[in-house]
Amino acid sequence: MSKIKELEIKNKYTGEVLRTIPADTPETVQEKIKEVHASQNLLKEMDFFERAQLLSNYASKLRFKKKQLKDLIVAEGGLPIKYSEWELNIVMTGFRFCDWYYQFIEEKTLTSIEGEQFVRIRYIPHGLAACISPRNTPISLPLYQWGANYLVGNAAIVKPSTACPLTMIEAQSMMEEMNLPALEALNLVIAPGNWAVDEFLKSPLIKTLMTITSSHTAKDILVRYANILKKTVDKSMGVAMYTHPFKNFFFECAGNDAGIVMDDVNLEQVAKWNVMASYTNSGQQCFSMKRLIVHSNIYDEYIECLIKEIEKLKYGDPTDPNTDIGPLGSRKILMMMEVMVADAKKYGCKIYTGAEKIDTGEDYGLFYKPTLVEIKPELCEDLTEAPFLWREEAFGPVRSITKAENLKDAIKLANASNYGMRAVAYTSNLETIKTFKNKLEAANIYINARPMLTDITVALGGIKDSAYPPGCKYYPQELVYGKYIYDGTPINLEKLK
Amino acid sequence: MLEEELTSQIIDPQKYKTDLAKKYTTFLSKYPEIFSDLISGSDFDFALYDSIEAYDNRSPVDIFNVYCNDHGIEIRPGRADDSDLELALSIKAVKKLIQTKTKVEYAQLLGHFFNNPDEEKGWIDFILHKRTQILIDMGYGRFARTAGILEEDDNVYSI
Repeated sequence: MSKIKELEIKNKYTGEVLRTIPADTPETVQEKIKEVHASQNLLKEMDFFERAQLLSNYASKLRFKKKQLKDLIVAEGGLPIKYSEWELNIVMTGFRFCDWYYQFIEEKTLTSIEGEQFVRIRYIPHGLAACISPRNTPISLPLYQWGANYLVGNAAIVKPSTACPLTMIEAQSMMEEMNLPALEALNLVIAPGNWAVDEFLKSPLIKTLMTITSSHTAKDILVRYANILKKTVDKSMGVAMYTHPFKNFFFECAGNDAGIVMDDVNLEQVAKWNVMASYTNSGQQCFSMKRLIVHSNIYDEYIECLIKEIEKLKYGDPTDPNTDIGPLGSRKILMMMEVMVADAKKYGCKIYTGAEKIDTGEDYGLFYKPTLVEIKPELCEDLTEAPFLWREEAFGPVRSITKAENLKDAIKLANASNYGMRAVAYTSNLETIKTFKNKLEAANIYINARPMLTDITVALGGIKDSAYPPGCKYYPQELVYGKYIYDGTPINLEKLK
Repeated sequence: MLEEELTSQIIDPQKYKTDLAKKYTTFLSKYPEIFSDLISGSDFDFALYDSIEAYDNRSPVDIFNVYCNDHGIEIRPGRADDSDLELALSIKAVKKLIQTKTKVEYAQLLGHFFNNPDEEKGWIDFILHKRTQILIDMGYGRFARTAGILEEDDNVYSI
């Protein structure tokens, strides 16, 4: 494990080797952790607004290099070029206006019932964070993780996916070009997650582990952490004392978002948005609309509209500006789509369109055609018995559609999930809107919203198995703790002299 | 009720260093409604740069500011005393912007230069001098949309 190995990064569409880069070893990971940790005080030499200004300047730098970055995102990530624009815009907007987050971490005074103001809450960065980001976003999430830490004053080690680390390496070199202050408090780790996670977990210098991953992988991280804790147990006092310190865990996980379409909307318009929300980036998005729940009055008509839109989707070369669906990120995803469709067929589910693969036999150029599968509502009620496609996240271009007889039925179906990232609903009835806002079980509720919003107010997060800790959140808010300072000097000083 | 017509005034036109800045101020003075989303008292700089390097060094070839009052705008030479932000423009971008024939065409081109910055073809950028929340409250977000800098997401990404 200590021998430095090289990593070949391939074009996800053509298979061409883009670059061969050195991979980290457990030893180099620990070295990097120590170096970054030793430099974290450099961040504290600047205040929040200085760091925000630097991130804003960096956003300008990214914009001037947009074409170069987009080409990399497309090549190593397989994302269609038009989607790569969106991917970059999220992070550029977030960085440009990042001082907006100050409202969540601004020091404040509390007023007691008697009107006294002895307590202040000051927000303090937790310390070094290790950030693990997924394969479907070569730049937006890893850079956002790093930026949020930089903004609040935490050093950070970022591990981009080994399938697409080049964009982040490029992003880091742009920071070096502009001599970004305190850059020593950041480093990248290029290593597979299966052992890099253990290195992060066992280092006492790392205070926070933030990952964007599947819910099952997140749970596996907790199991690994428990095993590491067990190894540090000291029973010399007769009780189990664990010497390894606590860490903060911050997981953004899977989504299995419901999308409800009621019978009082323009079906063509909603179908257009639905297809964008469901199949963008080949459906490889945690917040993709995955379970479509449609009112019975318009069910057949809506399916016709939907299929018409799905069939317009162009898949193929991601560098082509007309391509909507690029290659899948891995063979594992292709297999997962096949398994989900085969499993749905066992339940007698109807396949409306898709369910075909393009398999080069290699680890590139893999496609699964945008697929729509009907799942009967009675199959959705018991999550232990439901088809995989209903109960697990389909992280690819396969979507389910289910009929709801009425509003109550639609809500029941939407909530029949172990996940609770987002829920989307389309209706023109104001009373129905109120009911959706109150009854849908998800951390984010989107009513009559167009998909792919990039507004800074859009928060991440989820409930149930979609996030830990549960709830919506802005990253900078999660990376600090509130220090409560009670200062009784004004009333007690004289007594103490 | 009739909407009050907005006015524009170019202050000290002889003080501009470049002809291009003069032409640009004349052009902007024709469209004071572009600035109608900004509250009275808003004041921001238009800085013209001849290269990205000059922009990195914050050395514009010319600079003027647009001040919004109760009735419209005043265009003044030099930097604003307490500028809200700087809109940075490459000379190549300004040359093309002043050729546009309508406000809509101008906004589209401005948006293009922001979303597709290119050293050869032209670019724009901006630097915030005040907190984002303050600028939002002053109406700069809506202004950016009217001016074509912020696009609807539907235009940025649509299947």
